[in-house]
Amino acid sequence: MSEPRELVEHFFRHESGRLVAVLTRSLGVRRLELAEDVVQAALMQALQTWSRRGVPEDAAGWLYRTARNLAIDALRREQTHVLALPRLAGEAERASPPPEASFADEIGDEPLRLLFVRCHEAVPAESRVALALKTLCGFSTAEVARALLTTDANVQKRIERARDRLRELDVDFDTPAAAQLGARLDAVLAVIYLLFSQGCHVTHGDMPIRRDLCDEARRLAWMLATHSVGDVPAVHALLALMCFHAARFNARVDLDGAIVLLEEQDRSAWNWSDVREGMAWLARSAAGDELTRYHVEAGIAWEHCRAPTFADTDWRRIAELYDTLERIAPSPLHSLNRAVAEAYLHGPQAALDRLAAVPKEVVPTRYPGWHVVLGELHFRLGQHAAAAHAWQEALRLTTARADQEFLRRRLESTV
Amino acid sequence: MAKFLFIYREPTVSRAKPSPEEMQALQQAWYAWMQKFSSAIVPGGDGLKHSGRVVKAGLVTDGPYVEAKEIVVSFAIIQAADYDAAVAIARECPPGHTIEIREFAGYA
Repeated sequence: MSEPRELVEHFFRHESGRLVAVLTRSLGVRRLELAEDVVQAALMQALQTWSRRGVPEDAAGWLYRTARNLAIDALRREQTHVLALPRLAGEAERASPPPEASFADEIGDEPLRLLFVRCHEAVPAESRVALALKTLCGFSTAEVARALLTTDANVQKRIERARDRLRELDVDFDTPAAAQLGARLDAVLAVIYLLFSQGCHVTHGDMPIRRDLCDEARRLAWMLATHSVGDVPAVHALLALMCFHAARFNARVDLDGAIVLLEEQDRSAWNWSDVREGMAWLARSAAGDELTRYHVEAGIAWEHCRAPTFADTDWRRIAELYDTLERIAPSPLHSLNRAVAEAYLHGPQAALDRLAAVPKEVVPTRYPGWHVVLGELHFRLGQHAAAAHAWQEALRLTTARADQEFLRRRLESTV
Repeated sequence: MAKFLFIYREPTVSRAKPSPEEMQALQQAWYAWMQKFSSAIVPGGDGLKHSGRVVKAGLVTDGPYVEAKEIVVSFAIIQAADYDAAVAIARECPPGHTIEIREFAGYA
């Protein structure tokens, strides 16, 4: 046997999402849980077998065959859901996942199609996003919780609610009609955006940026833009936003893997072809009279890309954009970023006043970034004890190695 | 060189399902462990399925032990100079198991 190849990072994550998507197509969305269970079991088998024998040449095909056989076994045991059996059995001769084929109006890309099915309008909005992140993007419950600024238990509840609803609805083999696709677009965009943000700002582990998550989000949005339903300004704006952020990736991490603040980034290391692509999308997004949060956020990211040096940043313009953002998409994180802009415009005390004005019940106390900014503002006012207190809280909450390293360095400066 | 049996036990109450990410990390950790100690690992070790039969005083029941808190999930045979050396190898196993180490008596 040839030397088993190394698994690329996040291979399991990618494959589990893709396999659930492919199997759900055969099994029906109502049997989503079965699809997830057999994929989990296939990964378990891979864990045990590959640990001993190494990774097979065709790792993805191996997983697919194992998961498919487990699904067939499960269906035979039940004998009640015979509908899906012929579909799976028909595919049994295949060694790898079936190619993705589609009709003109259908969404050809399987992960994207599934995303639309998951984002069914009868499922509560908050549950849609949680379910999609968990089952299609391969997020763990804890990761979903961090992405949505909520607790593990809450995420679990939302996902169960979404699954129950999908089962009741009996949306087996659902191919949403064009009108439905439009109604679901908002939720789909929210999922793609969260996937991208999670990749940009990893909340645990060693890697400060996960390019693969960001690339997948961009790919999904790009596929969306090529479909009649998704060829709309909101999608163009989201693409622009992602391009502008991706352009700065190389400069955001130093050689030790630590985060480099925008202020200290080497702007010549930015990827200017990403910036140019972003500009093209931004121009297209200006068609029509719809102003979405993605438009505004793309505008903010563009302002940062546009400034030749950090000192040239147009904070007044950025503050205005955040004001707009707070109005059309209220979120404590937007208030936080607005406060940062305020700090550059009118000093740290003005920014602290803004943060103090955020109603207590919406302050995201579990979000480390909140405490990082709070600490920085206190630090700039010379209030080192308060700064240390906030940074310690941030350090307690963060599980990302790069962030911990950054915070430890900042904490040292308060002593 | 003495031979030791490594008996891996796992709690029967399943913990939270690992995420795909965690499983991949575990897979890689185990593979690395096996590579590192390939000269000490005697072929023949394997995982064990979770259900079995128990024969006791002529009576056959489904096993292993439904009421047990931990069950044996796999085993390995390791060649090592002494217990200290065997324990050192066990310590480098990825976490998640209780490992019982027993030296072969050498009757066979």
